[in-house]
Amino acid sequence: MPNLRVLLENEKGKRVLLLGNEAVARGALEAGIGVVTTYPGTPASEIGDSISAIAKDAGLYMEYSTNEIVAVETAAGAAICGVRALTAMKHVGLNVAADAVMTLAYVGVRGGHVIVTADDPQCYSSQNEQDNRYYALLSKLPCLEPSSPQEAKDMVPHAIAISEQLELPVLLRTTTRINHTRGPVTFDTLKRPNLRGEFVRDVKRFVMVPANARIQHKVLLERVERSKEISENSPYNKIVRRGRAVGIVTSGAAYNYVAEAVEFLELDAGILKLGMTHPLPELKITDFLKSYDKIVVVEELSPYLEVQIKAIAKDHSPNVEIYGKIKTVFFPFFGELSTRIVIEALAEIAGKKSPIDFKTIDEKYRQADKVLLPRPPILCPGCPHRASFHVIKTATAGKAVVPTDIGCYALGIQPPLQVGDVLICMGASIGTAGGIHKVTGSDTVAVVGDSTFFHAAMPGLANAVYNNHKVTLVVLDNLTTAMTGHQPHPGTGKTGTGKELNRILIEDVARGLGVKYVKVINPFKIKEANNILKEALKTQGPSVVVFRAPCTLLVLKERRKKGIEVEPVKITEDCNNCMACVNVTGCPALVQKEGELTVDETLCAACTLCVSVCPYNAIQGGVV
Amino acid sequence: MDSCNIVLAGVGGLGILLAAEIIGTAAVKEGYNVRVSELHGMAQRGGAVVSHVRIDEKALAPTVLEGTADAIVSLEPMEALRNIKFATPKTIVLVNTKPFKISGTKYPEVNVLLEQLRNFTKNTILIDAAALAEKAGTGITQNVVMMGALAAVKRLPMKVETLKEALRELVPTKYLNINMKAFELGYDYVKASK
Repeated sequence: MPNLRVLLENEKGKRVLLLGNEAVARGALEAGIGVVTTYPGTPASEIGDSISAIAKDAGLYMEYSTNEIVAVETAAGAAICGVRALTAMKHVGLNVAADAVMTLAYVGVRGGHVIVTADDPQCYSSQNEQDNRYYALLSKLPCLEPSSPQEAKDMVPHAIAISEQLELPVLLRTTTRINHTRGPVTFDTLKRPNLRGEFVRDVKRFVMVPANARIQHKVLLERVERSKEISENSPYNKIVRRGRAVGIVTSGAAYNYVAEAVEFLELDAGILKLGMTHPLPELKITDFLKSYDKIVVVEELSPYLEVQIKAIAKDHSPNVEIYGKIKTVFFPFFGELSTRIVIEALAEIAGKKSPIDFKTIDEKYRQADKVLLPRPPILCPGCPHRASFHVIKTATAGKAVVPTDIGCYALGIQPPLQVGDVLICMGASIGTAGGIHKVTGSDTVAVVGDSTFFHAAMPGLANAVYNNHKVTLVVLDNLTTAMTGHQPHPGTGKTGTGKELNRILIEDVARGLGVKYVKVINPFKIKEANNILKEALKTQGPSVVVFRAPCTLLVLKERRKKGIEVEPVKITEDCNNCMACVNVTGCPALVQKEGELTVDETLCAACTLCVSVCPYNAIQGGVV
Repeated sequence: MDSCNIVLAGVGGLGILLAAEIIGTAAVKEGYNVRVSELHGMAQRGGAVVSHVRIDEKALAPTVLEGTADAIVSLEPMEALRNIKFATPKTIVLVNTKPFKISGTKYPEVNVLLEQLRNFTKNTILIDAAALAEKAGTGITQNVVMMGALAAVKRLPMKVETLKEALRELVPTKYLNINMKAFELGYDYVKASK
């Protein structure tokens, strides 16, 4: 693991290797940000985690908020009082936060407030690949897009300056290939964070009743006019390469592929690189369009730039040909770009030939592909979710509809467990379960993780109680936010700055919301867990079963720290290689070698699930 | 040295990210420009994982272009083949020969995989990194064994000493000796097999 203390070094000019997200964290320290809020989500998680690791020494306040809208509200509260703030989230987090962001744009801030939205083209770890630059258009807020870890750092103080100049929050839109790329970053000096704010009452500005909102909307529009000037003069909106044959407009991660593709094809191309993509620098773009007959717009996901550039061209440069993805699809609307995709598209547009014949490589690869097996992500060996899904499957005889939710447990859909029938967004399992049960009458088991429960499932559970939906909510409580890197949450009682405060127990919340049947059980006690779940399914009205067992990765880490070796399970001579354990659990530590069952001792976490499911008591070891 | 493109392949949990960070850190120590691509979150859980390292004054993209890798280092035989698109006939492929099986499927013979690899490049070095890692002290240092092996094939522009320095910074002090030994064993194995 990298030593994040390097982020605290106040040495201007120091050059270190940083992950894009660590660079954003460093940027926060250089900007004198006093309050950082976040809800973890890939690819944004390490922004909050880096700050969490050093918050005490940096002298700033950091919190893992219960969800993204609370994170934005908390940071905005501080920024309204003049303290600089940063909120980080993944792209879909901004959907959750959108209600606050849209009207925060009317209210504005006094201290700078940067809202980082990390998009995930290619859905590496997400349920969709929406393009959040449209949130800038929708909210009218300024938006910056870095292309490298260095820019990811530099743009934080820059965004804070814009935010304070306009008294508006500023969006910093990254994508996975910025967040999760390491590159050299040169430090600037640190700025002491100010944590002391003052609330100055201004009802007309801060209380958005209709009469005030109508006026504040106009204030926002005036600020948009001023932000256009900032964009025209932005050092991040610039021509980075001169050329005559074709002009390319691009931004963010796409710029990197464009720059390399142009060199690779030896194109006589000019490149206008946009780092501030809302509002667009209309005059700068107009000038650029006028220098070319052919313009290519290269961007990931939606044609956000292309549509606006076409509008600009219609007024100022109607004869220029604009290539991108609207008229003819040279670049896909989905997935991430790559140097290859950009090379192939530019070669076609410019009538050039690529020095590498990719089609031949593809042809050759097709042979290799025939022997490759897919290797999708799976639940870890020892994962308590594996036991939980086994119990859900047996207790419901596989007949229930099981809406699932966002977290590692989405991997339950993989064979052989194959549990999970609907997955939409954070907290959706309990809501969709209500609707499904209402119209089908079938047993409905909603699955949700512990962190997700606090994030978005509580209103759904209240709804199930209020409207008497006969659904069972199974909370897979592994005592951490596992998927995103083991962040704490209200159920752990630990805070982002390492304090141990009160735990909020999920069972208490469920009872408090009026759920009559609430039970907690360790899912590795599969018989008891099975009986409890069956009982829950017989209950009239909603029921809640908490399957509680810590994430195995944390257990193993703890054991390693204490120097306790894992004693793998043993297969006894009673084993007749029926492979029930393999077929039921799909645990990667159970390996067949020439028809015989073996245990991969480097993988086995001695969780006991295989011990429990073996029909011949032929596996021994482990303790629940 | 104009550029150096390395593709690191493996399975989530085998330590690809650490391996990539060792190379990236060493590159920055010697003043090179570098890009290291990583994958986190759901992509990490036991699935196929890949990380690219590009050391090049002009490197901007975090990923290697197909047909331009200098070396492919794979912690698992099938994952080497999965990433063979990046190879040219000059690419050197370092393969840990221990398969990481996929539950519920019939894993092909390792030789079948290696045969396919050789359709792309004859420069393959097979390493029983699992055994060398055990010899170093623990099986989990396979990734570091492979870093030692990579250091021995002289495709990286950095000195071996700088790689070791990066390793020293990135692994917990408690496990430093085991990791250094793993690095040496990988290095010596390749040197001896030449």
